[in-house]
Amino acid sequence: MADAVLEKARDLFEGQIVSTPPPGDGHAGLMAASQDFEGQRLAELITTVVLTLTGIAAFLVGYVTQDIYQTLRIGLGGTALTFLLVVPPWPFFNSHSVNWLPPRGSVAGFDIEVDGKKVS
Amino acid sequence: MHSTLVRIQNVFGFFTTVAFCLAILVALSVVSFPQSPSASLQLRNVQVVKGRPHYYSTKREEYAHVKFDLDMDLTSFFNWNTKQVFVYVKASYPSSSPSDPPSQAIIWDAIIPGVAAPWHHNQYVPPSSKPSGGKKSKSKPPQQPLTTTPGLLKLDNQRPKYQITDASGQLAERANATLELGWNIQPWVGLLSWSNWGGLATVKEIDGGRTEPFDFPDVVGQVKKEELKTEVGGEGNRGKPA
Repeated sequence: MADAVLEKARDLFEGQIVSTPPPGDGHAGLMAASQDFEGQRLAELITTVVLTLTGIAAFLVGYVTQDIYQTLRIGLGGTALTFLLVVPPWPFFNSHSVNWLPPRGSVAGFDIEVDGKKVS
Repeated sequence: MHSTLVRIQNVFGFFTTVAFCLAILVALSVVSFPQSPSASLQLRNVQVVKGRPHYYSTKREEYAHVKFDLDMDLTSFFNWNTKQVFVYVKASYPSSSPSDPPSQAIIWDAIIPGVAAPWHHNQYVPPSSKPSGGKKSKSKPPQQPLTTTPGLLKLDNQRPKYQITDASGQLAERANATLELGWNIQPWVGLLSWSNWGGLATVKEIDGGRTEPFDFPDVVGQVKKEELKTEVGGEGNRGKPA
C-alpha cells in the first residue's frame, strides 16, 4: 500500500516522458514503461523554438514601443509559457511509444553460462 | 528530456542563454539613437568666504560659492534603455603650483530619471514642480515621471549644492577657472557612458555646456548667511525614512 503510494508520488515527481504498455500485455512487471524518444525530441524542439521566438519578440516589441518593461514582461512571460509547455509530462509527448520485440521464451528458458558452467 | 528535473534544467539553461543574448541586443541598440546634447552654462555669481570644514575643526579654509545659470537639452539621451542620467556641473581651476594638473570639483549635480524609472527620493525634482509650501510641507512624492520628456532643464541663478575648496585651503584670486557640464548615462542594460567617453560615432560633442574662464574673487568679509545657502538635493534625505 505504502509502496504503491510512493511509486505514484515518484512518477508524479519524475514526470517521465514514457509510454506505458497497453494493459493485458502481460509484461507490465518487466517493462513498466518504455521511453518515448520522439516525445523527448519534441520537448527539446519546443524549448528551443519558443524561447528563441520569445527573445526576438521581446526585443522587437520593446524597441518599437520604446519601453524596456515590455521586453521584460514578454521575455519572462514567454519563459513561463515554455516551462508550462515542456515541464509537465503532457500526453502528446507520449504518442510515439517504442515497440519492443516480444520476449523469446520465458525467463526460465534462458541458458546463462558463467565460466563454462550452467547457472539455472 | 526524460524526466521533470532534466526538462526544468534544460529550459532554464536555455532561458539564461536567451536572456543574455537579449541583454546584449538591448545594450547594443543604444547605438541606433543619435545623441545631440546641447547646453548653455553661464556663471552668475561667485563669492569666496572663509570657513571651517566641520564644526570642531580649527582649520580655516577658503570656500567658493558659485551660482550659475543652466539651460540644457539632454532629451536625446533618453531612449528605452536609459534608466537615469547623472548630470553635474564641474568647476575646474589651475592648481597652486603650475606643474600640477588642474583641480576639478563638482558644485552641483542631479539624478534625472528616465520615463520608466520608478520614483526614488534621490531623484531630482525641478524647481518649478516643487511644492510651494517649501520644505516643511510633507506632500506626497510624485509617483509618476516628473516630465514626459526628461532631459530639459532650465535653472536660473542656481545655488550650488557643494561649496568647493582647494587642497591647499587657498582659493581666493585663483584665475582662469571654468564651469563645465558633465553627465553619466546609466542604462538599464549595458555600459555607463560618461560625457568624455566619445566612443561612438552617434555621440555628438556637446553643443556648449562650458562657461567662459573666470577668476575667483578675493575673500569677502561680511556676507549674509542667506546668500551662502547651498541647495540640498534629494539625497539630502539619505539616512532618513523616505
